[in-house]
Amino acid sequence: MLLVGDQQARGWRFALSTLANGLPFVFIIAPLLSFVVYSFFWVEGGQMHFDLTLRNYTRFFTDAIFVPVLWQTCLLCLMVAVFAVLLGYPVAFLLATLSGRRKYMLLMLVLVPLLMSYIIKIYAIRSILGGNGFLNRFLLWAQLIDQPLTIFVFNLNAVLLTLTMLLIPFAILPIFLSLERIPKSLIEASIDLGASNWQTFCRVILPLSLPGVVTAASFVFVLAIGDFLTPQMVGGPSGFTFGRIIYSQFGSAFNWPFGAALSVILALVMIVVIALGNRFERRT
Amino acid sequence: MMKLSRFAYLALSALTAIVFILLYGPLLVPIASSFFEVAHGNVQWDMPSLSAYAALVHNEGIITAFLNTLIVGFCATFLSVVLGILFAIHYRNGTSPGRELMQFVIFLPFLMPPIMIGLALLIFFRETDISRSLLTVIIGHTVFVLALAYRTIVVRLKSLSASFIEASYDLGASSWQTFFYVVLPSLKSALSGSAVLCFALSFDETMITILVTGTDNTLPIRLWAMMRLGFTPDINALVALILALTTAMCILAVRYLLPTESADNAA
Repeated sequence: MLLVGDQQARGWRFALSTLANGLPFVFIIAPLLSFVVYSFFWVEGGQMHFDLTLRNYTRFFTDAIFVPVLWQTCLLCLMVAVFAVLLGYPVAFLLATLSGRRKYMLLMLVLVPLLMSYIIKIYAIRSILGGNGFLNRFLLWAQLIDQPLTIFVFNLNAVLLTLTMLLIPFAILPIFLSLERIPKSLIEASIDLGASNWQTFCRVILPLSLPGVVTAASFVFVLAIGDFLTPQMVGGPSGFTFGRIIYSQFGSAFNWPFGAALSVILALVMIVVIALGNRFERRT
Repeated sequence: MMKLSRFAYLALSALTAIVFILLYGPLLVPIASSFFEVAHGNVQWDMPSLSAYAALVHNEGIITAFLNTLIVGFCATFLSVVLGILFAIHYRNGTSPGRELMQFVIFLPFLMPPIMIGLALLIFFRETDISRSLLTVIIGHTVFVLALAYRTIVVRLKSLSASFIEASYDLGASSWQTFFYVVLPSLKSALSGSAVLCFALSFDETMITILVTGTDNTLPIRLWAMMRLGFTPDINALVALILALTTAMCILAVRYLLPTESADNAA
């Protein structure tokens, strides 16, 4: 058959390898290539021109909108990464100290939200943060405020909060894995040598878990910067992000080549962030 | 890990509790409000009712969207599992740089941000004159979830000792018999686990779908359209139902994947 050890099935194995190499080529490589090629086409007056130029890329750098929005989006996603890591670290630490059934249960509880509908989570968070939402209602009821707050909805704060809440699980996992990898003997040695728990944490555990923290942060950053649904849904008119600009090129603006070029730039930013993360991880 | 002091343990637990409130709390609000009357955009907490669910039954758009989601989910899952088996067997058949490259390419759509793979497919379909329909959505989902099915299956296939297969040949079994009586049964839990996971992912996939779909809506796209229009009570009911379904699928996936994980740990 198709398995090693069978000499008669040459034909089958040839068919299999054609399939295994051909399908990924057609449905993954070819789309990605056409995508990159598209970024060199250009559109003028609703008409697409199929000659290769750098026009889209020069427009990105010369137009006054795009670079600032990209920069702002990067800062936003960096803040999301920082918040997600700060919130995720204690959970990862608790996970690492637990054992047996309880550890497994807690890990499951961290993972389950990942399988839940993204769009539903955004919707749910929006209905809490909104002017008429649960949070405002609660604060009014507790008489902490007397006017519904509007700082949490339809602006960048809302995008920041929503993305953080959505992406915490992605921060917990890498940190948890790096904590698990710390050799027990190092911690025991530190305690034997008279260090308190707190000292052991600051001098041994925290530095050794930093690679995981960096991986977690770059993970969250990349996921946040690629998201266009969240800003579209909770961002309102002022919460404009780079992902939304890309999406609008394929919708209302109908300039596919420019959208493709912007996505290529976004991909480059992501690759740089991942590479920086990897580099840091190797060095430590 | 070190033994925590009582104080440290409590502090960590409290922080963890906050994170879990952030993770699960928002989901409770639409579920709770789905059981109450909504008037003027406000939930009337003193008027419990099932009218939201009743409205859902009469919303034909939602039922079609639900059926579309099921069709896409089943097709994408079936394709990914079958292709996952084929690709895993091919990968196991030998070692060459081509195989490593193939493996990397399969993982790409899972690693790349969905907006990019969605846009790439959108442009590809336009260039090849494939009009956008449920078929393109199925292709998009398959490309996305295949990595998961492939990964689960290839790991299990690698752990299957070659001597089992050789023994089967020695005992006179044909290739197909070996495949059906030796290889496939040992992949069983990996197949069912990855099938459930693939279906769950496909069921909720939004970012790729929104780009490659034509006029046919899947449930998340339908939800997206409804949410943009505003707040209607049947959204809450739908959200509650979808969450119930997803939770059921998660529990199923865990039950299938659980024994394999403890077996891996024991080995």
